[in-house]
Amino acid sequence: MQLLIELLRSTIMAATPVLLAALGGTYTFYSNIFNIAMEGMMLIGAFMAVLGSYLFGSWVIGLLFGLAGGILAALIFIIFAVYLKTDEFVTGIAINMLALGGTTYLLRQIFDVKGAFMSPEIVAIPTWKIPLLHDIPVLGKLISGYPFIVYVALLAALLVQFHVYKTRFGLRIRATGEDARTVDSVGVNSSSVKSISIFYSGILCGLAGVFLSLGYVNLFAENMSNGRGWIALAVIILIQGRPLGILLMSLVFGFFEGLGLTLQGTAIPSQFTQMVPYLATLVALYFYSREKQTGVEVEEVEAV
Amino acid sequence: MKKQIITAFIGIIVAFLAGFIIMALQGYNPAASYYQLFSYSLFSRFALFTTLNKAAPLILTGLSAAIGFASGAVNLGQVGQFLIGAMGVTAVGLWVDLPAPVMIPLLIAVALSAGAFYAGIAAFLRVKFNMDEFITTLMLNFLAGFFTLYLISGPMIDEKMYSPMTPMINRGGWFPQFGGLNFAFFLAVAALAVIYFIWNYTKIGYEWKVMGRNALFAKVGGCDNQKNYVRVMLVSGALAGLAGAIMVLGGMQHRFVKGIDANYGWDGVMIAIVANNGVIGTGLYALFFAMLQTGAMGMELETSVPSEFVLVLQAITVLFVVASRESAHLLFNRISVLLRLRKVRSQERVSKGDDSDAAFD
Amino acid sequence: MVNAKLNRPDIELIKISSLVKIYPPATLAVDQVDLTIKEGEIHSIIGENGAGKSTLMKALYGLIPYNSGKIYLRGKEINFGSPKEAVRAGIGMVHQEFMLIPSYTVLENVILGVEPTGYFGVLNKRKARERVEKLVEEYNLNLNLNARIEDISVAARQKVEILKLLYKDVDILILDEPTAVLTPQEIEELFSRLKRLKAMEKTIIFISHKLDEVLELSDTITVMRKGKKVTTMVNENLTKSELARAMVGREVVFTVKKDEARPGDEVLRINNLTYTDRYKQERLKGINFNIRKGEIVGLAGVEGNGQFELVNCIMGLIDDYQGEILINGVRIDNLSILERRKLMAYLPQDRKDTGSAQDLSLISNSIMTHHRINPGLTGRWEALLDPGASRELTGQIIDKFNVLIPGIDAPISSLSGGNQQKVIVGREFMLNTDFVLLDQPTRGLDVGSIEFIQKEIIRKRDSGVGILLISADLDELFNLSDRLLIIYQGRIVAEVDPAEVDKEEVGEYMLGAKGVAS
Repeated sequence: MQLLIELLRSTIMAATPVLLAALGGTYTFYSNIFNIAMEGMMLIGAFMAVLGSYLFGSWVIGLLFGLAGGILAALIFIIFAVYLKTDEFVTGIAINMLALGGTTYLLRQIFDVKGAFMSPEIVAIPTWKIPLLHDIPVLGKLISGYPFIVYVALLAALLVQFHVYKTRFGLRIRATGEDARTVDSVGVNSSSVKSISIFYSGILCGLAGVFLSLGYVNLFAENMSNGRGWIALAVIILIQGRPLGILLMSLVFGFFEGLGLTLQGTAIPSQFTQMVPYLATLVALYFYSREKQTGVEVEEVEAV
Repeated sequence: MKKQIITAFIGIIVAFLAGFIIMALQGYNPAASYYQLFSYSLFSRFALFTTLNKAAPLILTGLSAAIGFASGAVNLGQVGQFLIGAMGVTAVGLWVDLPAPVMIPLLIAVALSAGAFYAGIAAFLRVKFNMDEFITTLMLNFLAGFFTLYLISGPMIDEKMYSPMTPMINRGGWFPQFGGLNFAFFLAVAALAVIYFIWNYTKIGYEWKVMGRNALFAKVGGCDNQKNYVRVMLVSGALAGLAGAIMVLGGMQHRFVKGIDANYGWDGVMIAIVANNGVIGTGLYALFFAMLQTGAMGMELETSVPSEFVLVLQAITVLFVVASRESAHLLFNRISVLLRLRKVRSQERVSKGDDSDAAFD
Repeated sequence: MVNAKLNRPDIELIKISSLVKIYPPATLAVDQVDLTIKEGEIHSIIGENGAGKSTLMKALYGLIPYNSGKIYLRGKEINFGSPKEAVRAGIGMVHQEFMLIPSYTVLENVILGVEPTGYFGVLNKRKARERVEKLVEEYNLNLNLNARIEDISVAARQKVEILKLLYKDVDILILDEPTAVLTPQEIEELFSRLKRLKAMEKTIIFISHKLDEVLELSDTITVMRKGKKVTTMVNENLTKSELARAMVGREVVFTVKKDEARPGDEVLRINNLTYTDRYKQERLKGINFNIRKGEIVGLAGVEGNGQFELVNCIMGLIDDYQGEILINGVRIDNLSILERRKLMAYLPQDRKDTGSAQDLSLISNSIMTHHRINPGLTGRWEALLDPGASRELTGQIIDKFNVLIPGIDAPISSLSGGNQQKVIVGREFMLNTDFVLLDQPTRGLDVGSIEFIQKEIIRKRDSGVGILLISADLDELFNLSDRLLIIYQGRIVAEVDPAEVDKEEVGEYMLGAKGVAS
């Protein structure tokens, strides 16, 4: 029982950064931007969060720094991809490299360490003990006492769903993704719709980064996003963007990562348990692609 | 071509300027740092050879990415293929002991096939199950990373050492050095020549090129896209595998060390991107990146700018070179529109007769 | 209508003066055009493809910026920075390629950009629906607001485009080539709708290159050629050839001359071809026909009635069909695309997406398929390509087909549409196969290129080649075909002799009003 609760708790913790990043990617998915910069947005967010929290001894400043980091990456993306018409794939790769190189460099430059920076002076995101529920034996353990960003992420899934499907902006963003020229022709500037969607994805990925470095653990390590941005992208592709589906899928991935963590300390070498989420992504992609493949005729021509 | 050189030049200058400002803001001496960067990578025979040796794996991972992208195969699995190639030659090099003239060709063949095999998995998943290679190669990177880490920290560990690594491979597999210039460099240049030839003088290279630009056109024209796709993936993987192998065979340590892949895989992707997937350009930018990375060590030594700074510089260079390529195009268009407009206005009222404008779409 | 009374004939509504538009890098699309539109009239602008009609209107509509000149609306100078401003001023435009979101419903498309909302930007669809429903009724548009665009017919989509404008309260409607996608019957319906709109005091600008339509519909006609305005005329006692001369700048032959066909052996035979797609929709239903050497067989039909699938079956892009396809008596059903290409040439309908690789050089675009079939292009070894021979073949195509090029190593995208198409036609015709499949060979080209390509097609026929011609242009089908097949909902519903039927009759077959057995 104890083990099961631990597994479920680690599932939720592990799912949160993927969920937040994937929700951010949902915006760019709908506006048809090939956003592979989520990994980098997250990493910058994580670094900035630690920096802010450490320098000011406040998780609030850390949070704000982290969000600013994500926004900064988004602005770079917007300037290059939307306004200078640089290829989105290229921009994304370059931002990821910039994030990796920049955080590694600043780690050296500011904290004078290689690899990872930890310190008792990094103030973590506070956890939220849900009143009343917290004291219920099993349930309380299960749903209460997480860093509050976990609850924000759950709420965000609902909000994004509503935003994309029920509002004016949602109508425009999905239309932009389908045919930007049409949107322009009815007098809506598709470039700004795209920019806004990148901006949102920067905020959410930045938040994912904050959670990584101030919630999930309490340190910054080189390349600590460790492929979560890519997994988030895979989730979006698998789910075709529906936020509530993304919530579910993120939990599945969180489960596998949690499983990997739980299995550590058993006889299985840790390198194999760490493979689990990536293998799970491949398996999920397999099922998705097989589904899609039945009777692919003419589309396949363009695909290969 | 000329336009390409100019925009590349502008992009690099702007990136260096940005780097200049960043360094200055942090209180370093940018001019001295740049001087050291060049001096430690170019200004002596030793420095130059170090740069060329460093360029060898970059040329190969760059080619791997470039040939894939140019043919429409988004192979982002250079990291994984690199590791598997390196592991392949390490394993064979540990257990097989032959004289160098036999051993080296054997190990090269092993490296090529190991890399091709690993890329082949992604190609198989694509062809058989329609799984996007863009995601599968990324996931396979992580799997290869954990798998090789497992091997070097468990079954293949050299227990005399403090961090995970294998023992040294047998001497017959070590690449020869020519006065400090490693055989690996010649191998990389040879690979470049072969790819250039395939790309420009063979039917298959033509079909790859067309597939990369418009797969449907190639298909309707009678090209077997599926076969060509698999071939490109195998060749791309083989190149990345070879890159990994030369880090074992031509490196200092002659063994598989943790972190052997450094950032060669992603550097290769960036090189291909700035080179616009051109073969010659890939070679040149690989040299440029190698120069930065080699010089960075000297820069850190002399002016205490952390060598990680070049990682930033590289990414900025990619952004600015590519962006200036696009903006130069826009700027060129704007200027020619203005010129044309002036001509139109000067003709005002001269003649309302027929002129010979070509029809446009 | 020639004698229709203009509502307020003398009020200048729009005045364009000396407008210039240059597309980058240096294509002069509109060259100092002056134009006046009067309130309440139907004003047609005609000209060939590439004459600058659409560009002029897009500039007026604020969709593209122009480089010099002035535009006045009701005497006030305007320069719309975006279509939004144009719409606010009462100008709306229906584009040649529809600007609709395929997966959205009719209602969503109508309100896109002017969505009524409540708090927090939440959509208020009920409010929108009431207004839209009223408009549908008022203008008798007969549309289901909940239908998705991708599920409705082309003619219905056009109605949605018009509805979009009415919803925005515009009183000046610009329609860019609205009839290109319609059957003769649907065109009639559109015209009566436009006349109704005119009666309701709307001003209509109608862009077309079809003379008959313009003569039937307009009060005033402006002719454009090569970016310049040639003339503006009141539509009284104008003749078709007068207009044509103004439009093209010379006498125009309306029909390409051809001799009687002398059909020889059978080259293509299709037996009972049936194809069901992955959504279990039967796209082709028991197609049977043959083509002999030395004849052109036309295939008429509204787009989406199986032509696409038929072409893909013949080409091998679809391989899970039932039935038999034979070329020169050989079954090709199990052959690869390359093996098929040894027996047939193919001109795809979309020259940019299927017929060429736009970024690659003329040479790379000219040697496709030849590189595997023509031994002359092989280098020293089978695997090698001979660069000299490739260049030579490209040169031959350029010479034989009168292609105007900036240089043989230039990308094909630097050529005009007509010249690109000539390269593709040349490449395919020089494969020297007995059977040629032509899918929309002249769509979107200028008159000169159309004439040239149509003559080449007839020459190809006269050299003893069997040709299947698929076209949306009934004029072209009537001009070129020796026999005419009509496809409707995946069935060949009729075979007619184009010399003995008229377009209206073919139109009825195309709409399924006639000839649908069982």
